[in-house]
Amino acid sequence: MDINLVAEGLKFMVLGMGVVFVFLALLVQMMKWQAALVARYFSPKSPPAPFYTPADDEQARIAAIIAAVSEFRKAHPKG
Amino acid sequence: MKRILLALVASWIALSVMVSAQETAHETVPSAQTALAEKAFESKSIPQLMGDFFGTTGLNAIVNPKHEMHTIGGKQVDIAWYESWGRVIMFVIVFLLFYLAIAKGFEPLLLLPIAFGGLLANIPIANMTGDHGMLGIIYNMGIANEFFPLLIFMGVGAMTDFGPLLSHPKTALLGAAAQFGIFGSLVGAAALSQYTDMFHYTLKQCASISIIGGADGPTSIFIASALSPELLGAIAVAAYSYMALVPVIQPPIMRALTTKEERQIVMTTTRKVHHLEKLIFPLVVVMMIALILPDAAPLMGAFAFGNFAKESGVVDRLSGEMQNSLINIVTIFLGLGVGSKLQADKFLVPETLGIMVIGLVAFGVGTAAGVLMGKLMNAFSKEPINPLIGAAGVSAVPMAARVVSKVGSEEKPGNILLMHAMGPNVAGVIGSAVAAGVLLSIFK
Repeated sequence: MDINLVAEGLKFMVLGMGVVFVFLALLVQMMKWQAALVARYFSPKSPPAPFYTPADDEQARIAAIIAAVSEFRKAHPKG
Repeated sequence: MKRILLALVASWIALSVMVSAQETAHETVPSAQTALAEKAFESKSIPQLMGDFFGTTGLNAIVNPKHEMHTIGGKQVDIAWYESWGRVIMFVIVFLLFYLAIAKGFEPLLLLPIAFGGLLANIPIANMTGDHGMLGIIYNMGIANEFFPLLIFMGVGAMTDFGPLLSHPKTALLGAAAQFGIFGSLVGAAALSQYTDMFHYTLKQCASISIIGGADGPTSIFIASALSPELLGAIAVAAYSYMALVPVIQPPIMRALTTKEERQIVMTTTRKVHHLEKLIFPLVVVMMIALILPDAAPLMGAFAFGNFAKESGVVDRLSGEMQNSLINIVTIFLGLGVGSKLQADKFLVPETLGIMVIGLVAFGVGTAAGVLMGKLMNAFSKEPINPLIGAAGVSAVPMAARVVSKVGSEEKPGNILLMHAMGPNVAGVIGSAVAAGVLLSIFK
């Protein structure tokens, strides 16, 4: 046998593992860049700052109902 | 009843002796004359008809195998043994595969069609694996030209979610480390053929055996049919059997290489990934393949296309088809086509035994390399990394990730590692496709 198969196999191993690691390390870098880019330019729009808290909202609703009811009573006075 | 059966058997045997005597007589007749004789129909007596019919039965073919010299494993061998006992042994092996697929749930989607293909391939006389046989047609249609594995990869791409990987990009390195299973076992296979007399693998054969360590069925079939189609049957059976055995093979290795504290590490929660990142990712992969390793373009191209179709969100009909009907149809063909290589004279050779052993070692070495890389990364990383997730770096999606999650929650109930393990898991698919590309580029 002219060539030593094991020696050839070891060479393949160096090349193969090298390429796999370099490729995936590059891929990691690309993933980080693309995450940064997307975060920079396409970050999801933050929801508009609320003008009132949910508690206020509830109070406003109750106020509106009371106002509506009193208007109705004014318009339809009962005998 | 028994007597009738006995009498029948006795008459079959008597007939078989007659027929074999006839065959030896026929051999002396020049072939030109027999060709002429075939054209004119001759009236035959009942015993003659029955005798001729017996000559066409499979029983006769197995009892009276033809003697021909073929090259098997680089040696001139009389194929008579393969035509008789070889077939019987293959039937037994095929039934064992049925048992594993049905009763034990070993990757039934592929092992069952493969085993049935093997059953059909070993039917004597029918020549199902010939150019005009059903299995032969399927094999030539999509396996000899490496087409079916690519379609499978397309479907796998359409099913894969890269979200977990994108939220923890670093874990891709674990998928790289686990590919050591491939190259380590390549050296192992080379050593076996260099230093023992039992196995004589060429370097191409070593390469296609070692790809079993990538734990990726379609990639294994792709490489085997490209580099050494004669070993395809054994390689596919080994790859899918060991993939089914991931829950058995991996946990002991994972436990042996890690301390209890390491196994209990809780990882920080995953970041929410913007949809645009998932959409860009397959394009990034294709561009990198285009620039660095065009030899992996068929595999990664199909994979990225499937994934891009899914993430685009506008062609749900197409991606749905890839994930369902297409991958199912191709799985049927792929299984039967691979099964056609389970013929006795191709499977019952010492090489198959070597493939089974090397494949198992490859799985173990890949797992170990992934876990060790996990330990290394944990030592240097700011965020804690549970080394167990390194074991998911061998592809075997999503089985390996599930195994990791199971082992993790056994060590510390409530520690869910599944999403963290999916990152290295899908990176492992890319890693083994890259490794496959490197092997192809070496032998071009």
